[in-house]
Amino acid sequence: MKFLSVFKDLNLRDKGAEFWENSSPTKRKVIATSLVGLAALLPFMGVGILDTPVSDYGAVLVYPVGMFILMALGLNIVVGKSGLLDLGYVAFFAIGAYTMAILGTHTSLNTWEIMPIGIALAMLAGFILGLPALRLRGDYLAIVTLGFGEIVRISALNTKAIGGPNGIANIPVPPSIGPIKFNLNDQKAYFWVVLIMILLTIWMIRRLSVRRAGRAWEAIRQDEDVAELMGVNTLRYKLWSFSLGAAIGGAAGVLYGSKTLFIAPEMFTLNVSILILACVVFGGMGNIWGVMVGAAILAYLPERIRFISDARLFVFGLALVITMNFRPDGILPRKKREKVIVKKVSN
Amino acid sequence: MSKVLLELKDLTIKFGGVTALNGVNLKIHEGEILALIGPNGAGKTTVFNVVTGVYQPTSGEVLLHGKSLKGVKRFNITKMGIARTFQNIRLFGDMTALENVITGTDVHKKSGLLGGLFGLPRARREEQAGRDKAHQILEFIGIDEYSDRLARNLPYGVQRRLEIARALGTEPKLIMLDEPAAGFNPAEKVELAKTIKKIRDAGYTVLLIEHDMSLIMGISDRVAVLDFGQKIADDLPTVVQNDQRVIEAYLGVPSDAS
Repeated sequence: MKFLSVFKDLNLRDKGAEFWENSSPTKRKVIATSLVGLAALLPFMGVGILDTPVSDYGAVLVYPVGMFILMALGLNIVVGKSGLLDLGYVAFFAIGAYTMAILGTHTSLNTWEIMPIGIALAMLAGFILGLPALRLRGDYLAIVTLGFGEIVRISALNTKAIGGPNGIANIPVPPSIGPIKFNLNDQKAYFWVVLIMILLTIWMIRRLSVRRAGRAWEAIRQDEDVAELMGVNTLRYKLWSFSLGAAIGGAAGVLYGSKTLFIAPEMFTLNVSILILACVVFGGMGNIWGVMVGAAILAYLPERIRFISDARLFVFGLALVITMNFRPDGILPRKKREKVIVKKVSN
Repeated sequence: MSKVLLELKDLTIKFGGVTALNGVNLKIHEGEILALIGPNGAGKTTVFNVVTGVYQPTSGEVLLHGKSLKGVKRFNITKMGIARTFQNIRLFGDMTALENVITGTDVHKKSGLLGGLFGLPRARREEQAGRDKAHQILEFIGIDEYSDRLARNLPYGVQRRLEIARALGTEPKLIMLDEPAAGFNPAEKVELAKTIKKIRDAGYTVLLIEHDMSLIMGISDRVAVLDFGQKIADDLPTVVQNDQRVIEAYLGVPSDAS
């Protein structure tokens, strides 16, 4: 039990933040660049310990690992930042994927041209769902979003025009960017695209967190009534939060469609929403590093360890129960630390 | 008399069979400290809740600068110049003291989410201005040394003061304080009285709910008394203090009186 109590008190998040704060701008740049570089080289590290016996390592890096991280970051804006429990996140992923599939097979648009359309449609869906649903709170919102996720899947299942249960096949791969070609046997290019999308998302979240929008979300999460009485247009910022989360889900969906080349409604079940939510909760709600670590672990381990892939949901459940008991705020929880008070010296 | 800032006109509010406020008329003039007192359950906090738009009146209306607040959204009421604190402290505990106040200053900002995301000049300017303003307010209230501490870890007295600072952040014309001295010791009460006077002298109008009579008598320009949802007195502190009905409301009527 000694070991467990150490586990409980360990606050890597604060240690990391402290280290970051004490670093000079140059040092920060070096750290950030080398981290990104290291991540970009990940597809080449598929030998030895990191390799996945169950499936192709390169493919695993894109889906689930990269996409889970991306979607967990998107859902984190909704659940972690603004405190809105969304159980239908898969709907936006599905909308992105279906946009890619329909436009990719029926028009001459390529993946990069479809990407903004998919993002816009997902955002629009988020907005339309949010406008009535975000007037609800807590459990009621969760139930409505859960229903929305199922409605999207079942609509796809029952619409003959988009393949019904057979889904849509022969979705084109993205066109090559310069010398970088997209093909399924070697998915490095896909991984780099996901990486860029993740970096953009991190940039967006970090930026917004210290601005008006981030404060509004934080205020809404902590006390919605007071937020409104302090002048926060709560519905507007909740809609933003929902739409931005949806946009990221949609972006992930477009790329996913363009990678699997075949999509069907059965890929977009409630399970996916729950898995992404589990990544967020397991990693640490509201903290982007925690969410990324959580998503990476939950996405990667089942592919690495054969036993887990056979009993995926069981292990996820177990992992969540254990985390909730010993680290209720996740592996890397949100900000708890305070800056050291520097008293002003009067002169 | 100076200009009327806020007026409650025949304000009645009913919750089912309970009449929380019954035909209350009240005028708050610019630049005064008006204390609202009354026994528990008299309807004081209900007044706050109606004015800030939490409850809609059953009948009657609230006028700010002569304009009715009927149907105005809560955040717009704040924007129009009414801010409040809460009887039970309701700060944003996971934010620093400074962030709490900045959240208040956000109400008048013109730049929204996209401006902040892309770092547009106006958004940057407003962000910096909000930060400076928040520091000024914390300084004014006397708690700037706590600006980087998380609100939930602050001492109780500082939290109470931070609530006032956050409300001031919204640049209100009227600031409504709901029992700001609750749980304070006598020394802290003296300090608070000074602060409230300072707020009034800085040009704000103050509506104050308080139970501590010495505090009220010391600082308020006028005292209004509620009892069972009705206004029973509204006059200078010294007059109200000796008003027979007010004394009865607080102490009860002797059984042999008739």
